[in-house]
Amino acid sequence: MENSSIIQRSIARPEFGPFVLLVVELAVFWGFNHDFLSPQNISNILAFTVELGLIALAMTLLMTSGEFDLSVGSLFGFSPVLMWTLFNSDLTSLEAGFVVALLVAAFIGLVNGWFVTQLKIPSFLVTLGMLLVVRGTALFVTSGFPQRTWSAEGSWLAEALVGDFFIGPFRIYMSLFWFIAAAIALGYVLTQSRTGNWIQAAGGNPNAARARGVNVSGVKIGLFILSSIMASLAGVISSLRTSAANPNSGTGYELEVIAMVVIGGTALTGGRGTIIGTVLGILILRVMRNGIVLIGVPGLAYNIFIGAIILGMMALHSWLERRHQAGT
Amino acid sequence: MAEPLVRMENIRKSYGRVQALVDANFHVNEREIVGLLGDNGAGKSTLIKVLSGAVPLTSGDIFIRGKKVDFRSTSDAIAHGIETIYQDSALVTQLSIARNLFLGREPIKPPRFLNRMDQEAMNVVARDLLKQVGISKNIPPTTPIGSLSGGERQAVAIARAMHFDSDLIILDEPTNNLGVAETQGVLSFVRSARDSGHSCIFIAHNIHHVFQVVDRIVVMRRGKVVADDIDPKSTNVAEVERIITGMSDKEIHDAIVQGKQPQG
Repeated sequence: MENSSIIQRSIARPEFGPFVLLVVELAVFWGFNHDFLSPQNISNILAFTVELGLIALAMTLLMTSGEFDLSVGSLFGFSPVLMWTLFNSDLTSLEAGFVVALLVAAFIGLVNGWFVTQLKIPSFLVTLGMLLVVRGTALFVTSGFPQRTWSAEGSWLAEALVGDFFIGPFRIYMSLFWFIAAAIALGYVLTQSRTGNWIQAAGGNPNAARARGVNVSGVKIGLFILSSIMASLAGVISSLRTSAANPNSGTGYELEVIAMVVIGGTALTGGRGTIIGTVLGILILRVMRNGIVLIGVPGLAYNIFIGAIILGMMALHSWLERRHQAGT
Repeated sequence: MAEPLVRMENIRKSYGRVQALVDANFHVNEREIVGLLGDNGAGKSTLIKVLSGAVPLTSGDIFIRGKKVDFRSTSDAIAHGIETIYQDSALVTQLSIARNLFLGREPIKPPRFLNRMDQEAMNVVARDLLKQVGISKNIPPTTPIGSLSGGERQAVAIARAMHFDSDLIILDEPTNNLGVAETQGVLSFVRSARDSGHSCIFIAHNIHHVFQVVDRIVVMRRGKVVADDIDPKSTNVAEVERIITGMSDKEIHDAIVQGKQPQG
C-alpha cells in the first residue's frame, strides 16, 4: 500500500514524464549506436548543453512568475560582441569588458521588466521588441562581421568560465560547474526560499499576492534582470569556448529555451515551475539534437522531432494537471 | 457608548458621473457580525472596496477605534487589521495551504541571509488553524489550494485572517456556489471567528444565510445606508426584502405580476 502510494506520487510529479522520456531517448539512441554513450560524445553533449541550460534555468523562474523573455537569444549574441569590441579597441581589459557586458545586460533586463510591470505591456511584445533592438545593435556595431577573439589565451576569466580538464576519459569544461551551481542555487530559491513563494504567487494569482503585501513588480523585474544576465553569461561562455563572437549567434535560442522549460513541466501560464524538470528538458532537447545526427537522421529533420516532443509533453502535462485538479 | 471598531462617515464615491456611494454612514462594533445587504448596484461592493483599500474614496472619513485612517492600498487596510476575503481570488491555487497562509509573512529560519522559509513551523501552525476553523477532515497542510473544495478554501482564507489577528474580516459572498453542508461549514467558521474576538462583515445574496449568522443587518439602497440597526431576531426575511427593494408588499406583488424586476 505504502509502496503503491509512493509510486503514485512520483507519477503525479510534473518531472516524471520528462524523466521517462529522457531515459527512453537515451536507450533508443544507445540501441542504434553504442558510440552514443562514449565519453567523447557525452563530453560533447555536456559542453554546449550547459550554455543553453544557464538561460533555461533563469527562464524557469521568470516563467513561474508568469512572464517570459524572447530577448535572451539576442543577448547571447550581443554580449560577447560587446565584450570583444571593448577589448579589441583597447578600451578595457577582457575582464572589465565582461563586467560591462553583464551590466548592460542587467540594464536591458531592467527595461524589459519596467515595460512589463509599469506600462502593463505583455512580456511577449516587450521582449520581442527588445530582441530586435539588441540583435540590430549587435549587427550594426559589427557591420555583421564576427569579432576577433584570438587573444583570450591565458586570461583568468577564460580559465574560470571555460577552462577544461579531464576526469578519466571525460573532457569537462568549468562551465559545467557553473551550471550545476546555478541549478542548485535557483532550485533552492524556487522551492525553499521566501522569494520562491513570492515568485510562484506572482505567477499564480498576482492580485492575491499583491494583497498580501508581496512586491509582485519587484519580483518580476528582478527575474527579468536575472534572465538577461544569464543569457549574457551563457553567450560569453560560448564565445570563449569556441573562440568566436558572431553577432548572429543565439538566433532562435529563445524558443528552444522556452521549449526546454515547458517540456520540463513548468507552466507557460505561471504559478508552477520546476528546476529539476527544466534540467531534464534541457537534456531531452540537447540529447535529441546530438542523437539524431549520430544515428544518421538528417540534421534538418531535427525540428520535426522537437515539435513532436513539445506537443506530446504538453498533452501529458495537461492530462496530469486535469487529474490533479480533479483530486485523484 | 464605546467607540466602534470601524466607523465610516459621509462616504462618497463617484465613478465619473455615476455616484456609487452618496454620504454613506456605516459602522461595525467590536466582536460583531454585521450582515450587509442590498440589491445589485446598491453600493455594497463599492463600500467594501473603499473599506478594504481597493478603491480610493472621493470624500468622507474612515475611523478605526476612533482614529482617522487613510487607505491607499489593500496592504494598508491589512496593516490596520482589515482583511477582505473574496471567493477564490484571495488564494494562490498552485501553492499549498501552509504557503498561502503565510504568503508575504513567511517565517525565516536562521541564518537569515539564506532567506529560507521555516516550512515545518508553517505546517504546524497551519494544521492547528485548520482544526480551529473546524475542518474535521484530515487535510495535510502541504495540500495545494487547487485541490480543495470551495468551502475549504473559504475556511483557509478565514483561518489566515484569524491567525494574523485581523480585527475585521470582510466576507464577500462567501456562500456563493457552495453546497448546503459547505455553507453550514462557512457559517460556523464565521461564528468561531467572532467567538475568538474578531468582527465580521458578511455580504450574501442569500438572505437566509445572513439571518443565520449575523448580529445586526445593514441595508443599502442607491448608494446610501437606509437601515443600519435591524435585529435579525426581531424581524423576518420578508420585512428585510421590503427594505432592500424599497417597495411595499403590494408593489412587489404588482411588479412580479407585471413581469418587472423590483428596482434597487
